[in-house]
Amino acid sequence: MLQKKICMLGSFAVGKTSLVRRFVESIYSDVYQTTVGVKIDKKNVQVNGAELSLVLWDIYGEDDYQKMRWTYLRGASGYLLVADGTRKTTLEKAFQLEQRVREEVGAIPFVFVINKCDLLPDWEVDPALESQIAAKNWNVLRSSAKTGEGVEEAFALLARKMLG
Amino acid sequence: MGTSPKSSRDPLEFRKPESSSVPEPEPPPREDAEQLYEELRELILAPEQQALKELHHRVDDPASRTEDVGSVVAEAIQLRRKQGGDQALSAALTPTIETALRESVRSDPHTLADALFPVMGPAIRRSILETLRSFLESFNQVLDQSLSVKGLKWRLEALRTGRTFTEVALLHSLVFRVEQVFLIHKKTGLPLGHAVAPAVAMQDPGLVSGMLSAIQDFVRDSFHTPQEQGINRMNVGDLDVWIEQGPYAILACVIRGIAPRDLRDRMAEVLENVHRDYPEQLDAYDGDSSPFARVNSQLARCLEHRYREEAQPRGFGFAYAAGVLLILVLAGWFGWRAVQYARWERLVSAFREQPGYVITSFGRENGKFLLRGMRDPLAADPAQIIGASGVNPASGEFHWGGYYALDDSIMQQRAAALLAPPLGAKLQVKDGVLHVSGSASANWVRETQSKALLLPGIRAVQFAPELEPDRLAFAQAKATVEGAVIRFPLASAALSSSELASIRILAENMQSLVIAARVLHRDVAFQVVGHTDSTGAETSNLNLSQRRADRVAWDLGRNGIPEKLLHAQGVGITQPLRNEATEADREFNRSATFQVMVTDH
Repeated sequence: MLQKKICMLGSFAVGKTSLVRRFVESIYSDVYQTTVGVKIDKKNVQVNGAELSLVLWDIYGEDDYQKMRWTYLRGASGYLLVADGTRKTTLEKAFQLEQRVREEVGAIPFVFVINKCDLLPDWEVDPALESQIAAKNWNVLRSSAKTGEGVEEAFALLARKMLG
Repeated sequence: MGTSPKSSRDPLEFRKPESSSVPEPEPPPREDAEQLYEELRELILAPEQQALKELHHRVDDPASRTEDVGSVVAEAIQLRRKQGGDQALSAALTPTIETALRESVRSDPHTLADALFPVMGPAIRRSILETLRSFLESFNQVLDQSLSVKGLKWRLEALRTGRTFTEVALLHSLVFRVEQVFLIHKKTGLPLGHAVAPAVAMQDPGLVSGMLSAIQDFVRDSFHTPQEQGINRMNVGDLDVWIEQGPYAILACVIRGIAPRDLRDRMAEVLENVHRDYPEQLDAYDGDSSPFARVNSQLARCLEHRYREEAQPRGFGFAYAAGVLLILVLAGWFGWRAVQYARWERLVSAFREQPGYVITSFGRENGKFLLRGMRDPLAADPAQIIGASGVNPASGEFHWGGYYALDDSIMQQRAAALLAPPLGAKLQVKDGVLHVSGSASANWVRETQSKALLLPGIRAVQFAPELEPDRLAFAQAKATVEGAVIRFPLASAALSSSELASIRILAENMQSLVIAARVLHRDVAFQVVGHTDSTGAETSNLNLSQRRADRVAWDLGRNGIPEKLLHAQGVGITQPLRNEATEADREFNRSATFQVMVTDH
């Protein structure tokens, strides 16, 4: 059985927790995030017919990411970088986070998830930002915790990237 | 090589006129040309040749080559590390470094020891601390288990509720069980192995392992503890989580109840074994748990089938019984000893109270009682006193020295032995004074008076009034006088010569009595009583008896007894000395007798 530690990173209230809530098995309450600073969930995915167990470290993201506990990132094989499409600052924060991860643990696989695509009309992703994202050549997915859109795909993509 | 000078020469020769046409008007002869050519070559190629030579030299000469490499080796290693060739570099250097270390230790162990000193100190201290803590914890547990207050309480409860002691013990906190064992990869927080006790509700090991790691990180992060340290124990109610830290993995045991300290050793051992068995796999772990497929059986060793509730009640019961037995034996032994000792103490005080004994020392030597003292030969038999005390004579030794006791009772015995008092006399010693009472002869009294003071300890002799020599002399004299009888012939008041002699002696005795009486401040008078036998007429008898009394009184007066002290009186036959049955009796009654009348001044 293969298992991987992955992290959920992103600014405060981008919907990291909501994103995974319906799709993971969890025994811990959300209180952990604000107390210990992390909440751990598990998600089993199928990759190329093999089962992969993802242990998700949903790290409490403050607006000032400096206060995040970076030690929680240690040993992670990959991460979901989550931003809120309706708040431009969260995307910019995501860029900074990605850079910081590279400094802390090196270049590990990740998938950039822009959440709240159910609120697409309210999105603050302007063409300039879009081209900025495109220039990074990242794996980008749109998701909605509300509808479930893109969530499974995000995990599957990350799993494939980690194994590939 | 043979052709090269020629082929190289030709072009030169061909070019030569161009280059040397100005300075030299005519071509030199062939030999000169050779020489010139050489010179020219040297002129043109000398710097390059020199450089080439130096290069050759630098490459061939090890010294200069070393110099070259030495100047760049550090930069080269840095560059290699930057290029990401770390592992290969490490692999290449490892054997050399290992050999170097070995060599260093062999040549001078101090160098390495000094270098390691700052590291070893804390490590050793930590190890000692850990050992001490284990020791204390297990010591506490031993105390817990052996102190019987709790055990007694349970035993009482068992008696009260009618349950077995084991049951009661089980109901209380004695039970411990390792419910789950997690082997967690330190870096990723992923579970490498997981063992569960039967019938335990378990959570997903992945989640629990992750959270355990997160909490460790959280604590380390929050309190800035070093990476190699972490939480060793978490406790909630009767649930304990014990954690052992290894370099690559941590081992966590979820325990319900109070586990013995040696579980910690077991955990450390298992964790060490895992590190020993899977060194590379642990280091290179990337989420693939298959190399650790068999690790769960190792973890199961920590599930501790050695349940405490099985072991303890038995051990406790035995310990309890043994304890009670020990207490009984000790109590019995001490009790017996106390009784022995009390008996001996009683014996010693009995000896102390006993006249004729002095105790100089009492104690125990070599398990035996030892009594030393002195004994008067006249004192009571020691065997008798020992027998009365209940002491076993064989349990001790007695050493008696001889002495003269001055106890009254002993002195009394000694006085009796020396003075041999007559049966009617009584001797008693009180405070060193010999009291003599009863009846005894004046002689004995006289002797006693002089001999008694020779006895050590007797400081005075006190005779009872009746035995005072003066009184005794008086009494004796009185008795002599009163015992005298003067005889007369039939129907006559005449005295024979022998009777006259008797009267002379009697008069002397009477004189003595008068003197003795005077000493006692008394006066005496003598009544001379005349008697007749029963033959003859009464009146004539009375007359005859009066004459007889008068006759004796007259004779006594002649012998110096003042007349005023003498009263003569005839009583006829009214006071016969004997009942007259024979002629001898009648003869006896023809007499005069005497009575002494005493008056105090």
